Amino acid sequence: MTPSLDAYVLLSAALFAVGFLGVLVRRNTLVIYMCLELMLVAATLALVAFSRFNATEDGDVFVFFILTVAAAEVAVGLAIIVALFRARQTVQVDRLDSLRH
Amino acid sequence: MTPVTTAVCVLLAPLASAALITLFLCRRPAVAAALSVAAAAFVALAGLSLALGGARFNPAWEWLRFGSFAFMIGFKFDDLAALMLSVVGVIGLCVHVYSLGYMRDDAAKARYFGGLSVFMFSMVGIVLADNLFMMFIFWELVGFSSYFLINHWRERLSASDAAKKAFIVNRVGDFGFLLGIILCYWSNGTVSLSALGPDHAGSHAVYSRLIPLLLFCGAVGKSAQLPLQVWLPDAMEGPTPVSALIHAATMVAAGIYMLCRINVLMVPQAQVVIAWVGTLTALYAALCAITQRDIKKVLAYSTVSQLGYMVAAFGLGSVGAAMFHLTTHAFFKALLFLGAGSVILGCHHEQDIFRMGGLRARMPVTFWTFTVAVAAIAGLPGLAGFFSKDAILVLAFGANRAVFAVLAFTAILTAFYMLRLWKIVFLGAPRGEPAGHAREQGIAITAPLVLLAALSAVGGYWRAYPKAFEGVLSQIPEAHGPTHAIVLAASILVLVVGAGTALAFYSTGGSDSLETRSSAVFGFLAALRSSFDRGYDYYVAKVQQRAAMILSFIDVVGLAGVVVRGLAAATESVGFGFRRLHTGRLSNYVYWFLGGVVILWAYAAGIL
Repeated sequence: MTPSLDAYVLLSAALFAVGFLGVLVRRNTLVIYMCLELMLVAATLALVAFSRFNATEDGDVFVFFILTVAAAEVAVGLAIIVALFRARQTVQVDRLDSLRH
Repeated sequence: MTPVTTAVCVLLAPLASAALITLFLCRRPAVAAALSVAAAAFVALAGLSLALGGARFNPAWEWLRFGSFAFMIGFKFDDLAALMLSVVGVIGLCVHVYSLGYMRDDAAKARYFGGLSVFMFSMVGIVLADNLFMMFIFWELVGFSSYFLINHWRERLSASDAAKKAFIVNRVGDFGFLLGIILCYWSNGTVSLSALGPDHAGSHAVYSRLIPLLLFCGAVGKSAQLPLQVWLPDAMEGPTPVSALIHAATMVAAGIYMLCRINVLMVPQAQVVIAWVGTLTALYAALCAITQRDIKKVLAYSTVSQLGYMVAAFGLGSVGAAMFHLTTHAFFKALLFLGAGSVILGCHHEQDIFRMGGLRARMPVTFWTFTVAVAAIAGLPGLAGFFSKDAILVLAFGANRAVFAVLAFTAILTAFYMLRLWKIVFLGAPRGEPAGHAREQGIAITAPLVLLAALSAVGGYWRAYPKAFEGVLSQIPEAHGPTHAIVLAASILVLVVGAGTALAFYSTGGSDSLETRSSAVFGFLAALRSSFDRGYDYYVAKVQQRAAMILSFIDVVGLAGVVVRGLAAATESVGFGFRRLHTGRLSNYVYWFLGGVVILWAYAAGIL
């Protein structure tokens, strides 16, 4: 049986919530990064579901843009994380608090 | 040149002289002196030609404009201004020429002549002023010139103190003056002397009495009336020509002149106050003069006393009598001061009269001219002072018998202390080394003395004055019939009693006969003299100082401490609070982000 639109949107929301919760709670920078990607993908899923159920291609086009942006962002972000590790020897977010007063 | 242009040049020539001296001639005293004397000569000659030539004009130029209020600069050249300008010009020229001799060896001669030029500019400004604001500006300038010139020998602490005292006491009077001007503008809509008319005087019950009294405060300060007379005796710290010009003949007379200018605003209630202030000042100053040892201080108190006469004459209702006495007083008082300066120079800067004596034989020109002046002020019939004082006594006899009695008694005292001065300085034997070697000081000194003696002698025949001054002199009161006889008898009696007593009582020994024979009276008079100064001292040292300490406490603890630093501390604590938000942890920041998203969502959904 074909899942209804509600199911797709619910799945997308759940994925987004999991990703957001991960950003909030996890301490490893790389895991936080993965959760960010998860949020992006969740949004993409919602867009594709809408475009399928409205029988247009507008949402499908978004996939290209979003994934391109995600790839570029990953490239830059991982470079920053590597540089950060070289400077601080850690990627645990609770130890990167030198901006504290 | 048109009369208006001439008047502008008369006003600006001394200013130009002062500017040139200040900018270029500080190291060239001889040139500075010559320039200043030339400017004074121009003021005198051009002023006399304007006055006697009959030109009367009233131009005005707009200087500043604030919306509907326009600040005008203008000249009001009527008979009153003509008379005053002539007096200022002639006396000014005499003093300038005299200063060439008196200040010949002074170290700061250029600065002195610059100061004299600034004074001439300011005084001519007062004389020509057409509205009260302009007069106030020049009034303050004259006060500044006085401060500058009293303080000429500025190494002396006493001179600096005297200059400060003069300026501060004048300021107190000027405060009342300024309030009066502002009230006049607010109540009448104008301060122009030409526009103010008799209907402005009675227009409002309270203001019409308050305005003349407040304006009179300016005269109380400038003309050294009670209670602001304390600065004039101290002002004798300045050079003697300065005392002659500023503190005898012209600046202190500016108060009288201003009163005559605002005569239209006078109401009987204010005039009574003015008359009594003048009368009491005359009496008080005459009592103070009797015990003085310093020749200039005697003349200073004499000036205060005679100014009291002028103020009383004005208060009794006669501009003519006041201005007439102002004119004759300018002549003989300037002569007295210049003669005193000649004596001081002759005795090598000695000012104590009990170290002089015997100068009649050694300094004849000074002696004879000084004698003419003493006779004039004492009221010898035929000389200038007799006629002007007689006019005031006639006026008082008709208007207010009590004032007449006090003024007549003061006239006795006047003759008394002047003859005391004359006898001790000039008669007898020399009482000290310098007096024994005194001699005349040269033509620059003696020529003005002779000129002023001539004016003191003939200056009383006001009917012989040029027609140009008719507007003022026609108002001099004249007596007829029994009043005339009574007042004439009183004047002669006053002269005989005062002069005779002084000549008989005082001996030409080395000490004050009053002090030796009746120390109680002498002590009383000395205490009377210092009472005002002691009162002001007490007020400043105790009352004012303590009030200042309280205010200082409120300022340091209250304003600076509680308000300013308190506000700073409050702001700082808010800052501390915000600093705690910076934990440096990413997860905290993301939580705040989440909170922001929730708020924005609620706002967009219409809940907030």
